[in-house]
Amino acid sequence: MTERPSARADLVWSLIWIAFGGAVFYGSWTMDRLEALHINPYTAPGLVPGVLGLGIVVMGVILLLRSLRAGAGGAPVQLITPRLLIAAVLCVAYGVGLVGQGLPFWLATLLFVFAGIAVFRWDDYRASGTVGRGLLTALLCAAGTAAGVTLVFQEIFLVRLP
Amino acid sequence: MLDGLALFGKALAHFADPLTLTYVALATLLGLIIGALPGLTATMGVALMTTLTLKMQPEVALLVLVCTYVGAIYGGSRSAILLNIPGTPANAAACLDGYQLALKGQAGRAMGISTTGSVMGTLIGIVALALFTPVLGELALKFGAFEFFWLALFGVIISGTLTGDDALKGWLAGFLGLLIAGVGQDPIHAYDRFSFGSRDLAGGFQLIPALVGAFGFAEVLTVLSERVARPVIHSFDSYLPRLMDVLQYWRTILRSGIIGTFIGIVPGVGEDVASWSSYAAAKRASKEPETFGKGSIDGLMAAETGDNACVPGAIIPVLALQVPGSAPAAVLMAAMIIHGVQPGPMIMVNNPQFVYDVVAMMLYATIGILVFGLLLVRPLIKILQVPRDIIMPIVFVLCVIGSFAIAQRLFDVWTMIGFGILGYVLRQYNYPMAPFVLGIVLGDLLDKNLRRGLVLSDGDLTPFVTRPISAVLFGICLLSIALNITAFREAMNRLWSRATGGRTA
Repeated sequence: MTERPSARADLVWSLIWIAFGGAVFYGSWTMDRLEALHINPYTAPGLVPGVLGLGIVVMGVILLLRSLRAGAGGAPVQLITPRLLIAAVLCVAYGVGLVGQGLPFWLATLLFVFAGIAVFRWDDYRASGTVGRGLLTALLCAAGTAAGVTLVFQEIFLVRLP
Repeated sequence: MLDGLALFGKALAHFADPLTLTYVALATLLGLIIGALPGLTATMGVALMTTLTLKMQPEVALLVLVCTYVGAIYGGSRSAILLNIPGTPANAAACLDGYQLALKGQAGRAMGISTTGSVMGTLIGIVALALFTPVLGELALKFGAFEFFWLALFGVIISGTLTGDDALKGWLAGFLGLLIAGVGQDPIHAYDRFSFGSRDLAGGFQLIPALVGAFGFAEVLTVLSERVARPVIHSFDSYLPRLMDVLQYWRTILRSGIIGTFIGIVPGVGEDVASWSSYAAAKRASKEPETFGKGSIDGLMAAETGDNACVPGAIIPVLALQVPGSAPAAVLMAAMIIHGVQPGPMIMVNNPQFVYDVVAMMLYATIGILVFGLLLVRPLIKILQVPRDIIMPIVFVLCVIGSFAIAQRLFDVWTMIGFGILGYVLRQYNYPMAPFVLGIVLGDLLDKNLRRGLVLSDGDLTPFVTRPISAVLFGICLLSIALNITAFREAMNRLWSRATGGRTA
């Protein structure tokens, strides 16, 4: 993103910070102070998170006032683009849905890398009329990555792959 | 001094066997490639390499990481000069004059200047690393809980002030990092904080997966979300560094080396600020400031010397204070701890050899960038032309397996993904990542020392601001915050102009 976020975006964020900091402060305030263990009250586990939560609330309020003074206007940041959505879905599907869920690691990796390259290079392959060659390249990259990573981590670094 | 030289000589000899030198070559080369490829940063490279070197001997693993770090910061100048895209954020200033030189058909000379500046900058930083780490370590022995609390807060505040263009957002990111470090068992009573009954959360977020996410996955998302045309690379002249450039620009080299090293020592600020500050200082000192941004050799030399001098500079507080000077240094510090090396004030007492080992590692890395900088110009250009859409899915696989490999638990992979998405969103809204990372690294230090300090003073806050070192750190924190308040800044400007009789600075 090249342009600065608008005052409106800062306004929304300030509210998020205030709510988050407030929740942390509440959680810290109500946290067990371990009085039954007769600890020094200055070492209570909630002390530091509470101070930090309060600090975030104060800074959130300053951000709120600043954005209100700036008019709280402007265009919202376009956070989600189709390419970003595809990238996020593919990565999360691989990292959460495929890895460690029963599918062999090498197969999950092969599928992910092939899909990733094929999807993001598709327009270029189609524009240059090299769809077949492009998909073959994607498959070779995917197979190379799956084999290389599996070999290096499993056989050399002795990591039990997910 | 002589003891230090003896330890340094021993370290140089220790690493001078063929296998270790092969590691030096491979790691520097990999760092160079990581740095040269836009979207792959030095922090991400060092984080990924940490996971790859877990099974190595500690000193070899750390040698690999240092070489990757130095190589990446240098490598980033290649894409800055040839593509006008900084390979790492540290090379953004190099784009200004490097690319202009490339447009004039002098990309080769620009690469030579970048090699000269990087090597000289790293060497200046190395001298400072060898000289100042023991001094700072000795000073740090005087630190108690009060000073360490301020040091942690100072790092987050300074980093928040200097690394973005909005200090408030930098501080918010830093505080978020400090809070995240507090999730899990608290370091004094082992009480589960914000774990919501989850055993995984009770263990806290591991630093390396969090960093791989914030710097690696977030970059993967950033790069894949933008459609990038195939890079066009201009033809170039000879890329051999010229002795004349060193002689002609020695003032720039020395000034930028000192600025870069000093900024490296300041916690959490890092190479990009070092590069811009050196560039700005060179422009102020130049007799031809109008040439800056239009292909100035002076400007490029300053930027490249400054960012590379920052690398050894950033390691000085890691070794002496256990506080990182930059984001990649934070990862390096985490790697040291994983490998059983305990940096901090006691290092010069318990393990002085390690300090000089790091100096020797830096020197080998510098030789590495000089050799590869001269030999691998054309192959690197081929790598720069590989579409990033092909590289990024492979990088994400490394992010996943790297996060998993540390403790072999899936929770770390989810942590990486969560922090990646969080990092991406924060960056889109102008929240800098360096204070966020520093917050995660320094959270434990701040937490333990605030509570210890309060116990020592029985709740009295006075020692936090009256002990000499505490008072200095407190004063700098306060001034950093106050200078970001418009009314205070304007009042200071008025006072200044009154004191100087209306002359502006």
